[in-house]
Amino acid sequence: MTDSDSSDAGDRTTGKRLDVVALLDRYGIVIVIAVLGLLIYASQPDVFFTWRNITNILNQNSVHAILAIGMFMVILTAGIDLSVGSVLALSMMCLAVLSASMPWPVTLVIGPLVGSVAGFVNGVGITKLKMPHPFIMTLGMLFAARGLANIVSGGVPYSGLPDPVRFLGSARIPLGEWGGGMQSLPVVVVFVVALYIGFHIVFEHTVFGRRLYSIGGNPQAARVSGIDVDRHLIIVYTICGFMAGLAGLVMAGRTNSGFPNAGMGIELEAIAAVIIGGASFFGGRGTLIGVFGGVLVMGLINNGLNLNNVSVFYQQVLIGIIIVVAVSVDVFRRNVSTRK
Amino acid sequence: MIKSITQAFAASLVLGVAAGTASADAILVTTKGPGAGNPFWAAVEAGATAKAAELGVEIVILAPASESDVARQIAIIEDQMAKGLAGLVVAPTDPNALGPIIDQVKAEGIPVVFIDTLGINEGVTYIGTDNQVGAAIAAKYLCDNVEAGSDVAILQGIITQSTGKARADGSREGMAACGLNIVAEQTGEWDRAKGMTVMENIITGNPNIKGVFASNDNMALGAAEALKNANMLQDVVLVGFDANPDAAESILAGDMSATVAQNPYNMGALGVESVVKLGKGESLPAVIDTGTILVTSENAEEFK
Amino acid sequence: MNEMDRPPVVLEARGISKYFGAVTALEDVSFSLRKGEVIGIVGDNGAGKSTLMKVLSGLYRPSEGKLLFEGNEVNFSTPSDARRLGIEMVYQDLALAENMNIAENIFLGTEPRRTFLGGLISFYDHRQARARASEHLETLKIHVKSVEQAVGDLSGGQRQAVAIARATAFDAKVVIMDEPTAALAIREVGKVLDLIKDLKKRGISVILISHRMDDIFYVCDRVLALFHGKNFAQADLGDTSRSEVIGWIMGTLNHKGTLAHDRL
Repeated sequence: MTDSDSSDAGDRTTGKRLDVVALLDRYGIVIVIAVLGLLIYASQPDVFFTWRNITNILNQNSVHAILAIGMFMVILTAGIDLSVGSVLALSMMCLAVLSASMPWPVTLVIGPLVGSVAGFVNGVGITKLKMPHPFIMTLGMLFAARGLANIVSGGVPYSGLPDPVRFLGSARIPLGEWGGGMQSLPVVVVFVVALYIGFHIVFEHTVFGRRLYSIGGNPQAARVSGIDVDRHLIIVYTICGFMAGLAGLVMAGRTNSGFPNAGMGIELEAIAAVIIGGASFFGGRGTLIGVFGGVLVMGLINNGLNLNNVSVFYQQVLIGIIIVVAVSVDVFRRNVSTRK
Repeated sequence: MIKSITQAFAASLVLGVAAGTASADAILVTTKGPGAGNPFWAAVEAGATAKAAELGVEIVILAPASESDVARQIAIIEDQMAKGLAGLVVAPTDPNALGPIIDQVKAEGIPVVFIDTLGINEGVTYIGTDNQVGAAIAAKYLCDNVEAGSDVAILQGIITQSTGKARADGSREGMAACGLNIVAEQTGEWDRAKGMTVMENIITGNPNIKGVFASNDNMALGAAEALKNANMLQDVVLVGFDANPDAAESILAGDMSATVAQNPYNMGALGVESVVKLGKGESLPAVIDTGTILVTSENAEEFK
Repeated sequence: MNEMDRPPVVLEARGISKYFGAVTALEDVSFSLRKGEVIGIVGDNGAGKSTLMKVLSGLYRPSEGKLLFEGNEVNFSTPSDARRLGIEMVYQDLALAENMNIAENIFLGTEPRRTFLGGLISFYDHRQARARASEHLETLKIHVKSVEQAVGDLSGGQRQAVAIARATAFDAKVVIMDEPTAALAIREVGKVLDLIKDLKKRGISVILISHRMDDIFYVCDRVLALFHGKNFAQADLGDTSRSEVIGWIMGTLNHKGTLAHDRL
C-alpha cells in the first residue's frame, strides 16, 4: 500500500508497452483523422478543405452522430442496441404519416416520442424479462419496429413535410458570400455539436453518467453499492431510442419524406463508429469525444472515396479493417493490464 | 497498425486516380448498386461509358452498396457537387427521399435526368422502361398461351415502388381483360427465396393454377423451383421480367416460358446523351422509353 | 474483566436459520460482536460462512431468527439498509469498478454531488470526491500515488485497501470482510492485517472470514467456527490454539494432536 507497491516486477516489464498502448488508446483516433484528412487533401486539394465539403461531411453524418450517442451509452453499460435503424424508420414513418393530418408541433415531437417508447420497451424487456443478453431483445425490436414502420405507413413512402418539421434536418444558417459563393451552415451541424457538448457533460460530470461507467465496469459492484442498475439500464435504452427517433426526425427533414427502407443497417454503422472511437464492447470504457472521432473517421472515408470516384466496396473493406484494428487495440490493452 | 490503414487508404486513392480523376467537371452516373454486383447495372454502366467515349465527355460512375442505402446515394451526389458536376444521371434508390437533393441539383443549374426509376421532381426527364407496357406484353403472352378462364397468379415486387406497382397494374389489367381468373396477388419482394415460398403457398391454396406472372426473374426462378417440386411446372406458363441471363437459361431449358427484356444499356447511353443535350440548352421530352421486348425460347439465346 | 467493563454489543444474531428450498444453509446460528472487537469466522467450504455474511449485510433475509443492532431488532431488505446503519461489507471479489479511479470507487453509490433544478440534475462533485478520498486514505494510512489512479492499475493489496477504505468512508460501525488476504501476495498480507488492527483501534468492529490461521491469530480477539451450517465452537484467542481451531473446521472438538496440516 505504499508507493513502491505499484512498481513491482510485473509492472516494470510491461510499463513501456503499456504507455504505447495507452497513447494509442487516447490519441489514436486523432492520428487516424489527421492522416485521413491529409490524404484526402493531397488527392483533392481544391475540394477537400472547402467550406462546402466540410459542412457536407458533417451534414451527411449527423444522423450517424446522433445515433452514436445513444449507442455509446448502451455499449458503455456493456449492452448493445441492434434496433436503432428500425426504430429510426418507425419514428420517421409515424411522423410522416401524421404530418398529413396533425398540426406540425405534434408531428415534430412524435418521432422522438415513438423512439423513446421503443427504447423503453427494450429496456424493460432486457431488465424485467431478464433476457440473457440485450442482443436478443433488441434483435426482436429490430424486426418488430421495421414491421410496424411498414404497417403504419402501408409500406408507402410519404413526401412533403411541413417546414417546421423539416427545419432540423434541412435548414441552413446563411453566412454571406465568401470563398466563391453564398455559404451556409446546416442547422443540424450546430444541433449535433450542442448534443455532443451536452452529453459529454452528462457522461463526465453527472452522477448518472459516472454511474453508467461503474455499471459497465462492474455491474455487481454497482448493485452492492445500492445503485439501481435496472432502472439505469431502462433509462439508457430509452435515451438510445429517443436518439433514434431524433435521427428519424433529422433524416425526414433532410429527405423531405418518410420511406420504409430508412436506416436499414445503420445500427451497424453506429456500432462501428462507437467501436472505432475507442469504446470497449466489454463496457465501462470510452469517451463521447472519441465516439465523435469515430463518426468522423467513417465520414472522412466515405467522403474521400466519393471525391476520388472510388467504388463503395473499398469503403466497406477500409471500415472493416479499421474496426478490427480498433478492437484489437482494446483487447491488447486489456491483456496487458490483466497480466499484472 | 495505423500505417496499414493509411497504406490501404493510399492504395485505394491511387486506384481512384487511376480510374480517372480529371480537373474538368464530369457527369455523375449513379445507380442503385454497383455494376460489379448486378448485370443490370453493369449494362447501364457499359452504355453510359460507351456513349461518353463517343461524345468525348468525362463521366464518373458511383453507387451505394445496396438499394436500401438511400443516405449514401445522397452523400455521393453532394460530395460530387462539391467537386463540380457537369450533369447527373440518376437511378433514384428512393424517389421521395432523393427529392430535396435533386431539387438542389436543379437549383444549381446542373442538368439532370432519371433513369430506370421515375423520381418525384417535376420537369426532370425519365429515361427507362415503361414497366406497365412491359407487364402488358407479358400479360398478352399469358393470354395467348393459357386457356381463357384458367386460374392465374401474380407475384408482385415491392408494391410501394413505382416499378413494382406499374408491373403489378400492367399485368393485372392485361390478364383480366382477356378473361383469365386472377386467384392470387402476393409480394415476393423481388427476392428469389421469398418468391419460392410465396409460390408454394399459392399452389397449396390454388392447385389448378395454369399461369404465373412474376414481376422479376428472381421471383420467377424461385417460383419455378416451387412448381417443379410440386410437379406442376409442365402445366404452368411462367413469365418473368428483366431477362436476366439465368432466366434466359431457364427458358432454354424449358422451365420458364418467357420473360420481358428491358434495355439497361440504352438507359445508360441515353442518360448520358440526354444530359449532354440539356447542357447545350436543348429540351427533352418528359419520358424517353428505352423499350421492352418479349423473350421466349426463340430469342433467349441472345440474353444468356 | 467483568461484564460491566466490556464494550457494548453492536451486532447480535439470535437463532438465525436460512433455507434455500430443501437445502439448509444455516441453522440456529447465534453470535454477538462488541464495539472494537475483531471476530474471526472459520469453517470449511459450505459451512455457511458466506450465507451468514450475506444475511448480516442485508443481501439475504433470514428464514428464521433475528438480528439486533445496538440492541434494537432490525430487518434488512437490501444492502443499502444495512449500510445506512453502518454495516459495510468488503466482498471477496472486492466489488470495485476497475475502469474507474480510486476516489470514484470509494464513493460509488454515495457520490458527492451538487444538485440543480430540485434534484433533477445531479452533478458529480469531482473536486470534493478527490479531497475527501485523499483525506480518508490519509487517516487510514493508505498511501497511493493519486486518488485519480484507475483501480485496474493497482496491485492486489492496494485494491483490498481501497475496498476497505470504501467500506469505512461513512461512519462504519461494523465491517465484514470475506477472505481479504486470499488473493494477495504474501508481503501485502501484513499491510491489510495492520489496516484491520487500525480499524479496531478506531472503535470499528470487524468480522473476518478467513481460511488462514496466521490471519486469525494475528488480528482477531475471538474465533467462531461454523460446521454444517451450525454454531460449532467459539473461544477467545488466548484460550485456544491453531490446531484446535483447525480441528473445529473439520468437525472435531478438543483436538490437541498434530495434524498433517500443521506439519506442512
